[in-house]
Amino acid sequence: MSALKSLRKYHRQKVWWRYLVAALALVFALMPVIWVIGAAFGPSGLTTQTVIPRVFSLDNFKVLFNDENVPFALWYRNSLLICTSAAIMQVAIATFAAYAFSRFRFKGRRLSLVGLLVLQMFPQLLSLVAIYLLMYRVSLIFPAIGTGSALGLILVYLGGAMGYNTYLLKGFFDSIPREIDEAAKVDGATAGQTFRQIILPLAVPMLAVVMLLSFIGLLNDFLLASLFLQTKEEYTLAVGLQAFVSGQYEQQWGPFAAGALLTALPIIVLFQFLQRYIVEGLSAGSVKG
Amino acid sequence: MKLQGIVSKLLLLFLLNGTSLWAALTLFSLENYGPMALLLITTALIDYIYLSKRTRASRWLLPGTILLIIFQIYPVLYTAVTAFTNYSTGHSITREEAIEGLIEQNTNLVEDGAQFEFKVIESGDRRALITTNLKDGTFALAEPDGFSALDSAEIPEGWQLIDEDRLREADYQSWLTKLRIPFSESTILKVESFNTAAEYQYLLRYDAGLNKMIDIATGEALVEKEGAFYYLDGTEMEPGWRIWVGFGNFTDVVTNDRVRGPFFRVLIWTFAYALLSVLTTFILGLLLATTLNSPRIRGQRVLRSLLIIPYAIPGFLSILIWAGLLNDDFGMVNRALGTSIPWLFDAEWAKVSTILVNLWLGFPYMFLVTTGALQSIPAELSEAAEVDGATPRQAFAKIKLPLLLVTVAPLLIGSFAYNFNNFGGIYLLTGGGPAMNDSDVAGATDILISYTYKLAFASGKGAQYGLATAVSIIIFFIVASVSAISFRRTRALENIN
Repeated sequence: MSALKSLRKYHRQKVWWRYLVAALALVFALMPVIWVIGAAFGPSGLTTQTVIPRVFSLDNFKVLFNDENVPFALWYRNSLLICTSAAIMQVAIATFAAYAFSRFRFKGRRLSLVGLLVLQMFPQLLSLVAIYLLMYRVSLIFPAIGTGSALGLILVYLGGAMGYNTYLLKGFFDSIPREIDEAAKVDGATAGQTFRQIILPLAVPMLAVVMLLSFIGLLNDFLLASLFLQTKEEYTLAVGLQAFVSGQYEQQWGPFAAGALLTALPIIVLFQFLQRYIVEGLSAGSVKG
Repeated sequence: MKLQGIVSKLLLLFLLNGTSLWAALTLFSLENYGPMALLLITTALIDYIYLSKRTRASRWLLPGTILLIIFQIYPVLYTAVTAFTNYSTGHSITREEAIEGLIEQNTNLVEDGAQFEFKVIESGDRRALITTNLKDGTFALAEPDGFSALDSAEIPEGWQLIDEDRLREADYQSWLTKLRIPFSESTILKVESFNTAAEYQYLLRYDAGLNKMIDIATGEALVEKEGAFYYLDGTEMEPGWRIWVGFGNFTDVVTNDRVRGPFFRVLIWTFAYALLSVLTTFILGLLLATTLNSPRIRGQRVLRSLLIIPYAIPGFLSILIWAGLLNDDFGMVNRALGTSIPWLFDAEWAKVSTILVNLWLGFPYMFLVTTGALQSIPAELSEAAEVDGATPRQAFAKIKLPLLLVTVAPLLIGSFAYNFNNFGGIYLLTGGGPAMNDSDVAGATDILISYTYKLAFASGKGAQYGLATAVSIIIFFIVASVSAISFRRTRALENIN
């Protein structure tokens, strides 16, 4: 009996510092979040903020939706439209390519795979100047798809679709036994039918995670979006919020915190739901933007 | 294939062909034959691939491949080519365009020359002026190629008057400002307002035989140097044009004092930033993973859900939030600590801040991947070590850590490559600042990619595309060789184990 007691005591002694580390990590991780929540529901300036607002107010949210100089609702809509459509198409393109690489044997297959890998070393970011000059010239002839248009921005985003995701999804398709395909083939299914009716349903959870990560990656894009979108009404959240808050934190801190909260909340919730799948995807090596 | 499928496929192809035909016609009318040919060939290729029965894999690969070629491969090649030119503000056009521009732009009012009042008229695609010569009272119809006399200022039949409101539209305005109508042998009519014009003369002419620009008044032949014309006294004529400069942009990085100083400072900081970002996030992630990955800790799932919150917040937001928290006067960090540290406005503190913020953003990722890797190491290994008399610390350092490193090494390299080009992590937090001195484009925390961005788009000193693309190429070689070397190393590591 006493041996068990001392064992318990031993455990308690050894475990307290683990809780201490956990507590410190939690403070580090969550303090900024708590400050932002406090700022969102408090007064508007940075000067007057306290951790827990003395007066609870929704004024900061009102600024976002009533002030014509801060078309936050438009930014939100633009981000949703641009990033959702680009993420869906990116994943679709990557899925098609991954399926071809996984299921067909054709000339130049290995070379294309290696080529794709090498090209990933030259991120789109680096050819920024070239992309800008190309799309600027396009805009002079076809304004609808050049710089200054959301459609042009989406096209550029799609240019990056054949990269890392193709690899990830190819690996996933490789793990689905080919016998399934062959059985379908024997039953007379075309490649398209096999893909739609057999492979795709199996891949849905995987595709959802890849799409979420693509979406977040695109949502994070400030660089290309800031080059393409030129008026306040066209901005995405990244460009809009940056333009809104940078250089004037003292005045705009409250409304900005409110906007940040509204932007981050849906994604944090999604992340918690998909946590398990995301962790698996991470270990496979995807880096969120 | 079902009928429905065939119909929708044909419909899509029909739409695509229609659109590209319309686009090709537009390009044709603007004499852009190269892009037009490419567009038509691509369309034909798409038609072939989706209509032929013999294609298989290409049907699945085509959409991605076309986009890849346009928006990744072409820009990479264009970047490589531009890096060998002097492309920049003032050197953005061809020599022919520059010569034309220089002649058109450099004009002088003729003393005691003719003065005109005019109306703009239009007939279909033709535009012209009806001019009243105020000096001799004559009327004329002035079209871009010359004057023809009229009896009165009345609008001839078939023409329509364009009133001043419409002249303010961009299209008419640019037509008017560019208009040069030959008046006498050596003079031209040039528009001065929406209804007045005057007689001007050109200052420069181009001698095609000598291949030289000549100052008409003095007869001096201008010197051509580095893509621009110069007077003998050194006055440079703007605009210049694009020329090949060979490895000029690359040698500038090493030899030109104005470029070299900032470039090497930025290069060193880029390496430091990427390395420190990887190290700090990895160490904190590993520390948390080893501490919390213990059966004795309760509520692990809740803990984990809370700890990944910084990772779930979109990066751009977190960085903008931190920029506010680190505000030196009113930021919550200084107020919580009771300090007044200039987090973002002192060169050294700003560097600390970028690392700190990146640590906050990045440690949950490392925590997640190291936890996963630790859990995949069989417990028997450390138990066996303990049986052999190893302390838990030895077991960790000698057995778990090496195994862990093998698993996460590729992710660490990936993280290094990512942070090497982590534009947002710098630009959104400090804007690359604080500024070092007025003449430098690069601030104290600028990394190569944000430096490139500033060179090309945001320096306030004009766009230096040539130099910016050269720096991009250098970044590519650095990242590619670091990745190649370390991947080889880690493979060696794997073989040992």
